[in-house]
Formats: sequence, structure tokens, C-alpha cells
Amino acid sequence: MSSAELSQIAVNALLLSGLLALVAVGFSLVWGIMNIVNLSHGAFIVMGAYLTYWMHELLHVDPFLSIPVSMAVLFALGYAVQRTVINQIMRAPLLATFLLTFGLEILIVNLLNFFFKADTRSVTTSYSGTGFTLGAVRIPYVRLFALLVSLTLVLLLGAFLNRSRLGRAIRATGMDIDAARLTGVQVGAIYALTFAIGSAFAGAAGSLLAMVIPFDPNLGGGYTERAFVICVLGGLGNVVNVLIGATIYAVVDVFVASRLPQLSQAVTFALLVVLLIVRPQGIAGRSLS
Amino acid sequence: MRRTLFSLTALLFGAFPVLAADTITFGAAISITGKTAKEGEYTRDGYQFAIDKINEMGGIKVGGKVYKVALKYYDDETKPERSAQLFEKLINEDKVNLLLGPYGSSPTGTAAPIAERYRMPMVEANGAAEGVFNKGYKFSFMILSPAKLYLRGIIDLIRAKDPALKNVAILGENESFSKEVAAGAAEYAKEKGMQVVYDELYPTGAQDVSALLTAIKGKNADVILGSGHLQDSLLIVKTAKDLNVAPKAMGFSVGPSSPEFRENLKKNADYIFGATQWTDALRYKGTDPWSTPQAFATAFRATHPQYKVIPYQVAESAVAVITYKSAIEAAGTLDPGKVRDALAAIDLTTFYGRVKFDARGVNVFKPMAVEQLQPDGNKYTVWPEDVAEKPALFPMPAWDKR
Repeated sequence: MSSAELSQIAVNALLLSGLLALVAVGFSLVWGIMNIVNLSHGAFIVMGAYLTYWMHELLHVDPFLSIPVSMAVLFALGYAVQRTVINQIMRAPLLATFLLTFGLEILIVNLLNFFFKADTRSVTTSYSGTGFTLGAVRIPYVRLFALLVSLTLVLLLGAFLNRSRLGRAIRATGMDIDAARLTGVQVGAIYALTFAIGSAFAGAAGSLLAMVIPFDPNLGGGYTERAFVICVLGGLGNVVNVLIGATIYAVVDVFVASRLPQLSQAVTFALLVVLLIVRPQGIAGRSLS
Repeated sequence: MRRTLFSLTALLFGAFPVLAADTITFGAAISITGKTAKEGEYTRDGYQFAIDKINEMGGIKVGGKVYKVALKYYDDETKPERSAQLFEKLINEDKVNLLLGPYGSSPTGTAAPIAERYRMPMVEANGAAEGVFNKGYKFSFMILSPAKLYLRGIIDLIRAKDPALKNVAILGENESFSKEVAAGAAEYAKEKGMQVVYDELYPTGAQDVSALLTAIKGKNADVILGSGHLQDSLLIVKTAKDLNVAPKAMGFSVGPSSPEFRENLKKNADYIFGATQWTDALRYKGTDPWSTPQAFATAFRATHPQYKVIPYQVAESAVAVITYKSAIEAAGTLDPGKVRDALAAIDLTTFYGRVKFDARGVNVFKPMAVEQLQPDGNKYTVWPEDVAEKPALFPMPAWDKR
């Protein structure tokens, strides 16, 4: 591997890792705080992608500017979904949460198929595919901005959870629900808020993905899987863990794909299995249970 | 009394074959519902359109007698196991004379052994995977150019444009049909003295191909060929532009022929080549009832105004019926074995291109056509050169020089 190729691949991995961190952070939050492995996370991502697509297509809104809108819409939707649906299974056995969120995923995907058909879409702007060259390395603007936006959002979420009163209430609920309740935390409201934030971040991830990859209603499942692997790799409990998990995933995926593309997915999942055996708490995090 | 009943029964049962004897019935199970319902509909419409045309022209002459033609079909619900049952039913209960294929490679794979068992020919027009034809079956025939030919047209085209071009990179999806396409392209490029500098498969559903294109960039590929789904082709073009990978030509087995290709990529779709079985812009001149793709398209649109563009599935399905007509006339009998032999020996020129089968029953003699998306926003059929609509634009300019 030439040094030019090596540095390009490293940059590719870096650009991908930011995006994947944003894909996984909402999933990780919901899992860590509410103990729900949200199998409909990918479907929320796809909804974010469609919001950005339609805003760009119909109203000519720049896709980056549509991110706050898709976050707001998905926040509201997530809040409503938690209150009406997810709330039924809080503290229910794991299987019940799987069934419900999986059902939710199927429902959303089918609705998207019904309204928007299975056509493939992408958001193509005048600056899509443009970039600059740094030495031998090519850096596309869209991917670079996507990385910056992702990192900013993920770090903001981290700051919110660690510094703000509400964020601390969320974390307290995740740590010990009874103790949180005793100190006056409204657990019900916190759950709804947590799920809403998770959905909002899924929406942001969808908005960015719409610029980077062609999508259709069925895209989400693959991203739920990726979010899951990233959470296992990094461990739950902290946004830094998500960043670590996403970086490992991206590095492995991109480097394996540069030589043995056939095996890129197989190797990342093999890594997941190995890690679950030797270090089930994730590389940096606390236990998953 | 018994005698009366007997003669009545004889009359009843005897009467139908007499009526039916004036009609040649083609049987098929087609996906009218399910995942490939749309394509199944194209297939049926193509069969029926050719059958109506033959009847309108009088019918098929067998020996001294003229027969009308009819289609008997069932819905296989896009379930390959269902199509096998239905083909048995068509042979045993409906007593159809000859078989037409279902839609898709999988049901073709389950129907072919049935045709073989009952020694009844099946001409199929909608399954391009070759696997089933490598099993030594004698009664199945494929009208299509098979998978391994898909990217040959593009290779021939760029070699005609610049014989000095050497380096080819091939990316294929790790899935049976796409793998056949990629392997066929690599083999052909090598045969033509080109250097295959990159030949890799990526997993189905890949979401990031930056590593593959980075590797290709390092190999100085003149040509990038892709075989996968529409989304893969879109992602490869997007990523190539992202990473400023600018070969002299880019082509795909699947994607460019779909209108979604342009809608997704906008101007970035320019100069890209796509393989296709057939377009109505080709300039073939055949001995069939329509003779040219344009005449076929006009006639079809007149009876089916709901079609804006004529899908190639309609054309290839119609040609399957036309091929039978020639074979039956050549055989001079409806005996399935004799019709099979006539099919094996057939060599037709049609509006769809040449129809001739190799020893396995595959039409390797029809080249794949190539379409190109050009900067005026339209898509043109640019290969084979002698029947093309417009010359191909070559080479593809660098991304920043457009």
C-alpha cells in the first residue's frame, strides 16, 4: 500500500467515523438510559433522510440547513411515540421490547414505501462531490462538513448530559430509577425526553446520510445493525464511548474493504462476536446489561 | 342407454380437442402478483402482443394447415416453487402445446427441470442467469444475452474508441447474478489483451465504497466497470467524484438504464455507460412481423397507451413467441421433440437482434446494447455501432473539467 493510498484510506475512515457516531449516538442513549434496544432506530434515520430530501427538492432548502428541522420533527415524533407506544413496554422483558420496536420499524418502512415508493433518492447539490486536495489526499466538502456537524452534535449531547440539570436527570434515571424518583425526577417525562432526543439524533444522521449515500425506505435496517455493533464495540454510558466504537468500526470497515472488500462486513461482525466473548462491557464502557 | 351415454361422453370429450386442434396454446406461469408483479405484467403483455399479431396475420402454418395461437397463463405470485407446480398443471391438465418462460431467473430455474421431464420445449425470455443452462438440459432456450455478456458491449465500445486502453477495474456485488456479470467481464477483458488491474467483490448492501475506489485510484484504471444494484452504481459514481477518481470511461450492468439514475446523480450521470438487453432506439432490421424496434414500439404503444417507454421485457417476451413461430414452421409439425430440434437449429434476425442458441440453449449471439447518458440530459443507445442511435462520447472528461 503506497503512503498516498494509506493516508487517503485513513482520511476516508475518519470521515466515515463521524457520521457513524451520529448514527449510533441516539441508539446508544436510548439503550443505555431506557434499556431498550430500539430496532426502529434505522427507520427514524430514514425519515430524517426523507425530510431533508423533500425540503431540498420542494423548497430548495440547503441540506445542511434542514438538519435542525429534521431534528425538531423527529424529536416531536419520538416524544409522541414514546408516550403512546414505547411507554407500554418500559421495564418489560427484553423480548417484548424487540417485538415492539421491530414492529414499529416494519410499520414505518411500509408507510414510507407506500407514500414515497421504493425509488432510490439522493440529495445532489451544486457542491456535491467537490472538494480540495491536501498533498495526495482528497477531501470532499460534503463529507468534511458532515464530520464536523456530527462531532459538534455528539459533543453537544455529551455536554448536555454531563452539565445540564436535565441531562443529569436523564443519566440518573439510567443509573438507578428508584433513586432518581426519590430525588424528584419525573421518570415518565425523562423517558419520553430521552427517546425524543434519540430520535432527533437519528433524524440528524438521516439528513447527513441523504447527502452522502443513495437511499430508499429500506435503508434503515443496515444502520440499526451498525449502531448496534458500534455500541457493543464502544460500550454504553457515554458519548465518548460511541465515538470510540464508531472509530473502530470505520477503521476496520475501511481498511478491510481496501484489500478484501468481500469480507468487510464479515470482519466487523466477527469483531463484535469476539468482543462479546472477551470484553462484553465494550472496549471503553460499562456492562451492557 | 349406456351406449347413448358413452357416445354422448365421447362426443363431449371428443369435441373439444377438435376445436382446440386448430389452436396452438402456449403455457406459462408468470408473476402477476408479488415482488416482480410489474415485470411479470411486461412479460405477459409481450407474449400476448406477439400472439395477437400472429393471429392478425393469419396464424401459424404447420404442414398444410393454419393454426390460431393462444396464451394460457397462471399467476405464480413471484414464488419459484409455485411456478413449477403451475407448469406441471399446464402440461398435464391444460394440455398446452408448448411452454413460454416465467419472469426471473429463480422460477426459470424451477421450470426448466419440468420442461425437461415432460420433454416439452420452453423458450424463456426473462431469466439471464446461466447456472440452469449449464445442467445439460435439452428443452430450455434463453432468448436473452446471458449474464456474462452484460459488460462486453461496453468493453467492445471503449476498445473501438481507443484500442490502446489497457487498465480495467471491475467491482461486483457478491451475489450470484452480479458475480457472473463481473467474472464474464474480467474474462473478456483479458481475452482482448487488457489488464484487469482491480477485480473485487463487495458485500450486498455496502454503504461505503471509498476504500475500493481509493484502491482503484492507485491502480490508474482507464475504465471502471460495476456490476451490482442501482444503489451500488449510484454510490460508486458519487464516491468516484468525491475522491476525484476520473477514468476515461465508467459503465454499469444495472442502473443507468433506469430513470432514477439521472434523477439521483443529476449532471454527474453524464458520460456514463449502461448495459441493456434492448432499446427501441436500436436500428436492427429483422424478418419478424415488425422488423424494426421503432415499428415494434409504435405498434405496442398504439395498443398499450399506458406504456411511456417500452421496457425491454416486453420486446424479449414478444420475440420468444416469434421464435416459436419460426421453429414450428420449420419443423412442420407440433411434435414437441421436433419443435425442440428446430429451435436448436434456429438462426433469426429480429427487431430484437439475432436469435440463435448455443449447445446449452443460450442466445450468446446477441450482443448487449449500450446506452450512454449524455450532457444534453438524454440517454442514447450508442452500441452496437452499426445499429446505434448516436456515437458515444469518449473519453469522459475529468470531474472538474466539465
